[in-house]
Amino acid sequence: MDIIKKYPKVFQWLFLLAVFFALCFAIDVPETYKFIRGQAEFVKDPNQSTFVFLGKEVRYYAFDVFWRLPPLLGWLPIWINDSLFFLMNEWMPMEFWNEDTQEFKTRPLLLQISRNLTAFMTFLIELIREILLGGLETIVAFTSWDFIDAYPWAELPGLPWTIVAAGFAILSYKLSGKGLAIFAGLTMVYISIFGQWKPSMQTLSFILVAAPLSFAFGLGLGIAAFKSKRVEKALYPILLVMQTMPQYAVLVPALVLFGVGDHAAVIITMVVAVPPMILLTLLGLRAIPPEVIEAGRMSGCTNWQLMFKVLIPTARRDILIGVNQVIMVCFSMAVISAFIGAKGLGFNLLLALNQLNIGLALEAGLCISLIAILLDKMSLAWANKQIDYFGNLTFYQRNKNLIFFGGAFIIGILLAYAGSFYFKEGFNYLFEVPHNKGISTADFWNKGVDWIFETFFVYIKAFNTWLIQDVLQPMRALYLRMPAVATLVLVVGAGYLIGGIRSALVVCALTLFIALSPWWDRALVTTYMATFGVIISCIIGFTVGTLCFQNKNSAKFMLGVCDIFQTFPSFVYLIPVMMLFGITDTSVLIAVIVYATIPATRYTIEGLRSVPAGLHDAATMSGVNKFQRLTKIEFPLAFPHMMLGLNQTIVFALFMVIIGAFIGTEDLGQYILKALSDKNGAGIGLTLGICVAFIGLIFDNLIRTYVGKRKKHLGID
Amino acid sequence: MNTYFNKFRSLPESLRQLIGLIFITIIIIISFSILNTIFGQGDELVKKMKLEEERIAKEKKLSALISKLPSGILVTFDGTDHFKLSDELYEAVCNATKLIPQRAIMGANFLNFRAHEIYTINGNKIDETFVKWDKEKNKCFAGFTVSGNNVGIDESITVSGEALSFLSTGIDTRVYYIKNF
Repeated sequence: MDIIKKYPKVFQWLFLLAVFFALCFAIDVPETYKFIRGQAEFVKDPNQSTFVFLGKEVRYYAFDVFWRLPPLLGWLPIWINDSLFFLMNEWMPMEFWNEDTQEFKTRPLLLQISRNLTAFMTFLIELIREILLGGLETIVAFTSWDFIDAYPWAELPGLPWTIVAAGFAILSYKLSGKGLAIFAGLTMVYISIFGQWKPSMQTLSFILVAAPLSFAFGLGLGIAAFKSKRVEKALYPILLVMQTMPQYAVLVPALVLFGVGDHAAVIITMVVAVPPMILLTLLGLRAIPPEVIEAGRMSGCTNWQLMFKVLIPTARRDILIGVNQVIMVCFSMAVISAFIGAKGLGFNLLLALNQLNIGLALEAGLCISLIAILLDKMSLAWANKQIDYFGNLTFYQRNKNLIFFGGAFIIGILLAYAGSFYFKEGFNYLFEVPHNKGISTADFWNKGVDWIFETFFVYIKAFNTWLIQDVLQPMRALYLRMPAVATLVLVVGAGYLIGGIRSALVVCALTLFIALSPWWDRALVTTYMATFGVIISCIIGFTVGTLCFQNKNSAKFMLGVCDIFQTFPSFVYLIPVMMLFGITDTSVLIAVIVYATIPATRYTIEGLRSVPAGLHDAATMSGVNKFQRLTKIEFPLAFPHMMLGLNQTIVFALFMVIIGAFIGTEDLGQYILKALSDKNGAGIGLTLGICVAFIGLIFDNLIRTYVGKRKKHLGID
Repeated sequence: MNTYFNKFRSLPESLRQLIGLIFITIIIIISFSILNTIFGQGDELVKKMKLEEERIAKEKKLSALISKLPSGILVTFDGTDHFKLSDELYEAVCNATKLIPQRAIMGANFLNFRAHEIYTINGNKIDETFVKWDKEKNKCFAGFTVSGNNVGIDESITVSGEALSFLSTGIDTRVYYIKNF
């Protein structure tokens, strides 16, 4: 009894676990479960039960409800599909003037809006693409095909790669100095001579359209949320879901609304990139000291002037960090959007992975990674750059970068012109190195992969077999063995013990949504894969983070490594693992572990760093040794921060598990991938995306609530 | 009620939390029990699924058997170059066969003038087909029903006869010849 009084929390958790396991043992696996799971899930079977809701018939296998809840939300994907169909094909038909046929045509309003939007996006993408690579679509858009036939010189010539490379180097120099300028120059030269110029510029044009638009929308909505509590409250749940929604899942409804291609990818990229911009704008504006606002008001600023002359310049850094986030999300989406037909590096990477040509995939992946690092460093440098408002500079000092760029432009043109005489084979390498004419190391890498397989096949196979048979399959079986009631008791109980009744209700609602969808089993498989990845990532991340923290230089180095790895689009991580482990679950899990270790390591170092130096001194004065200081002072104080790292690790792991469907898993991601190729997949894709987001939000809610309480308890809030 | 509530509030925090946890657990279990009475179908579904399981197992066994048969015509009688089915195989093939192709239908119709007329007038439509094993006669019977309007009269004729030969495609078997005379 004394123990119970002394450790009430431990007793509560033990009670919860006891109830959970008791329920697991008490509820048998229904005899039919294995058999039904062995069959296809979407077959029409007379043994299925049915219910009708909102006019939609839902078929399902009626298990013992304690084991699996009936899919009472099975109507949702069908309803979403039907609603989208209705909105796109029947809702509000109107007469619209058709330029091509020169007559009025009846079209539903949403379809017309969607077509206009896609036409506008296509125009913007083509415009930038043709400035970079040349073409005639833009001129034709303003004139006609007859005009371009009559005046072929009017075609946009495109920019030689030397000018773009010089432009990047000069801009990098302006933002950060020599180091970044050299890196930018080398990156551009690498991209060009390896024949990846065209796809890289296609990707870049995609980002140059998506990022500014996302920035404008994000900034506008962030300001609106800052000004109005109502807007903030309305945006909050969307922002929350979008933070944990896999980028992959939002592609599916985009297909229905906007079709296939770059335009659809840009629009859906904006949907994904706007939330971080809103959050960072809000964060920046909230952090402005009231004195600054007061000073603005005292100076007689109108609301408009206060916002754009005082608040936004003051919150400049946070807003520019938002721009950095927007660019990185856009880049990540530019790669993933290859699934819906966006051109560029992502498309080449997808093609190479589909052909299992690891060498080509590696080349494209390296380009993606280099551009990602470059864009990240450039945007961060922009955010951190201080504007010198009072410098008394000469004309040359103020405009030297522009003058250099002008010089580089002229030299680039002259070189390209000279190249047209020098290179006689029809390819002007000083203008653009064609995709298949650059240096290629694909064969070398492919041979390397073959060598790895030939040399280490036995070991890799043994490791694969051990991992799958002895670790993954039992773990998967354990997760699938959990009755719905036991899972709900565990999750809701944990919510109650951590955050009280409010938290319990939130996690209950989120879990019920998944349990009542038709994909509870798949969600369990997703959770098992993510959990496995998270456990290993946390062990590695916490250990590496703690070890690196012991030395200032190693901590700095490790944070740098985390920075670089974090900039890589998640899709890129699949290349090396496929190279080493082939197409297996092991590959996905290794990719999950590598990707999810980054936040675990970063937050451990940052958490340990956040412990006040005064406490270190106090501890040393008290005579504690290094180990005691770490375990008794640093770890407890850094724990809340490390838990936030765990939260990020879970989100990263979930994202990677979903992307891993490309290799072939059995989880929710696989169904999202299937939905991408299904004309009725929008509803399923969106519901599955929400399910994944909710898995993330359950952990997010529990961890954040715990961290909040713990911080309060430690007095570091 | 108020007194109980006040008493509860005066309890230590940890005990209150434990009571709350127990209460939540009970609520969840009761909710599931209620849902189980509405949606649960335990034993009934088990029975249905067991039958389904047996049917699928039988079908799998049959398709494994069929995949071993030579492609081409399988006959039940002696004296041809085609593959002769043993009694055991004859029954298995009969049970596995689902399809009656148009060739077999036309052949059987040829000897049933009225059925042939309805079949032709109604655009070669067949209402239903069947292939079944007659345990008493130890023979396989196949047939089909044609129905439609023949000179102002609605008619429905079932043509049936002994399935004397089958066509094995390597994937499935089909009735090749129906003896309806």
